[in-house]
Amino acid sequence: MIISQLGYFSLIFGLLASIFIFFNSLIQLKKNNSVISDKTTGLIGFQFFFVFISFISLIYSFIISDFSNETVYNNSHTTKPLFYKITGTWGNHEGSLLLWLLVLTGVLLGFIFKSKNEPNNYRLLTTLFHQIIVIGFFLFVLKTSNPFNEIFPVQKEGLGLNPILQDPALGIHPPILYLGYVGTSIIFSAALASMISNYVNKNWAKNIKFWILFSWIFLTGGILLGSIWAYYELGWGGFWFWDPVENVSLMPWLSLTALLHCIVTLEKRELFKKWTIVLCIITFALSMVGTFLVRSGILNSVHTFANDPSRGVYILTFLFVLVLLSFVIFIIYGNKNFTKKSEIFLLSKETAVLINNWFILYFLSVVLIGTIYPIFLDVILDEQISVGPPFYNKLILPFLIPFVLFMSIGPSMKWIKTNLKMGAKSFLVIISTLILSFITVYYIGEKNIFILLLFIGFFYLLLKSLSQFRDKTKNFAQIFSHTGFSLLLISILLNSFSAKEIVKNIQVGESFILKNEKIIFKKIAVEKEKNYESIVGFFEIHDEKNKTINLLPEIRIYNEPEMATSEASIKTSLFKDRFITINIIKDQNLFNVRYQHKPFMIWIWISTLLIMLGGLFAIFRKNKEVNI
Amino acid sequence: MTRMFMKSKKLLTIKTLIVFILISFNFKNISMASTYSEDQTINIAKNLRCLICQGQTIHESNSDFAESMKKYIRGELENGKTNEEIFSSLVEKYGQWIVYDPGISRNTLLLWALPLLLFLIGGAIIVKEIYKKI
Repeated sequence: MIISQLGYFSLIFGLLASIFIFFNSLIQLKKNNSVISDKTTGLIGFQFFFVFISFISLIYSFIISDFSNETVYNNSHTTKPLFYKITGTWGNHEGSLLLWLLVLTGVLLGFIFKSKNEPNNYRLLTTLFHQIIVIGFFLFVLKTSNPFNEIFPVQKEGLGLNPILQDPALGIHPPILYLGYVGTSIIFSAALASMISNYVNKNWAKNIKFWILFSWIFLTGGILLGSIWAYYELGWGGFWFWDPVENVSLMPWLSLTALLHCIVTLEKRELFKKWTIVLCIITFALSMVGTFLVRSGILNSVHTFANDPSRGVYILTFLFVLVLLSFVIFIIYGNKNFTKKSEIFLLSKETAVLINNWFILYFLSVVLIGTIYPIFLDVILDEQISVGPPFYNKLILPFLIPFVLFMSIGPSMKWIKTNLKMGAKSFLVIISTLILSFITVYYIGEKNIFILLLFIGFFYLLLKSLSQFRDKTKNFAQIFSHTGFSLLLISILLNSFSAKEIVKNIQVGESFILKNEKIIFKKIAVEKEKNYESIVGFFEIHDEKNKTINLLPEIRIYNEPEMATSEASIKTSLFKDRFITINIIKDQNLFNVRYQHKPFMIWIWISTLLIMLGGLFAIFRKNKEVNI
Repeated sequence: MTRMFMKSKKLLTIKTLIVFILISFNFKNISMASTYSEDQTINIAKNLRCLICQGQTIHESNSDFAESMKKYIRGELENGKTNEEIFSSLVEKYGQWIVYDPGISRNTLLLWALPLLLFLIGGAIIVKEIYKKI
């Protein structure tokens, strides 16, 4: 109870600190000091500290199950294991916004430490703009989503945590995702600051590149965790469904990826200044749109833990203010400072980056329009439509082929001007690509020419990226990310084309066959855990080599709140996952069994890790002159 | 001279692109098998929203609604109905909301056209940027 109070007052202090920092930065800017004062740095540190204390208090309230706190009461229960008590802290609207605030103040502190050698007015202006966002979110949390509301009389027991959130991957998914999501805020603040302080140049690019990579890596990781969770927890073996909430995390990822390529061009050639700034603004705006869409409850999706119109209106207004602010600054300062003109040659890395941005922004527009168009149609014409996978497949897949071809040759372009030569090596790569693609298409028995073209494009990117390992001036960051991306596309394509599944309603003791495998339903058992009871099915799979594999799918009945979930049992191997789920059929002695072969699943995860690894290489490599 | 050559090369890229787009729009549902199979049921079910679930397809869901829909689809396929006929009868009954493919209609024209339009505009900007006078 007292701890909860401490958390609340700590938040108020944090807000006061924000206001103080805001005016302090203004005064310092007037004075035109050459060094940022210790006072400002100290205040930013204190601000983070206050939010941190507040966050810890909330976690503590969850751990001790303090049901005088409304958030704890609504989202926890004494029988929960400690891990889910802790992750329950951010598994709800109020707590997750406090986490948002924690990251928001944290990245500013990080920025101040990482920018010691940058001009003082740039650092102060970044602080100033960042405080506007911070104050906005403080008010949002305190006014509409206070995590420390008290309830009286104090309840004996909480309402519990949604069972599908009681999962290790989903436990750490929000913090990782938020580091990426909210990390884009500092990019936004710094972009505005760099415009006003006339600092949009090589040095700025070097400085901000770290934060772009930082956000990008964590966002990739967050999306990966979400997908893995969806794969085994939602019970149908899918990992991406173009669900609106998935889309809103993909949008900032796409624009960050475009920005990543742009910022390197700015760093090396001082080109695309305006465009880079626009991308910085777009990226953060998309993160805010994502927050708005998820938090307002407008979306119909699997993530329905928030619905309160007043919250949506607040975020939308705030977003509007921020976009307006950046628009005004862009109009006033944008044209003044970016007059440098230089020629761009058709065959150059500059062109390659432009084409990269062109396609990525197109993909982004598909996802954005596909996500918000149905909302507008519903509001304006009162017509409800669903925009699902077929829409995205039709608009994205055909464009992927030229995209991956450009992506394959882009890295071998040089800055300013290139002469493309067809050496023996390139010829070898093309031949191997064709052979590999034909074999693959033949193997999966696909006669569609379009699929063949997709494979050719993807394999070309893979082989071309791999062949760069032998180059003298190699860039591991790019090679790993591009290799990962091509592997990801290939695995997804193979996965969607050669998946096999069978659904049977059977009794214990019966068996069925999929391809060359025999699946036997041996027995069932009942087990009891702290937070649920489960019915476990024992399945034996005899594969073509007569090896035996055991799978143990479960039906869990969680106690608080009372809810049944189906837990998949998965056996992963290098080439395919065996995936089984069971469900009870009402009033009958039968079980509904769904058994699937999901080819190359593990490669989808591995290739995403490779993409992230590329990002890590980019962060940790010394400032050598390397190409992207 | 080199400029000319570059331009023609660029034209070629654009032409290839157009061909790709044309192919891709035709590629769906080329093979409309007359004999009905379980795969066909699955393909249809994958494209239908389970109306009582949260963001799940009929195929993925085990709800009563989804199960009865699967039965309905099998029945219609056995009666020799085509995919299109099944979709349109369902849209008539439950509204466009049930189908994950928004299709092209008066309401969705912008949905399809806007991204493509943006793509063309983007391309134009890039061409202008590369061939601009300095």
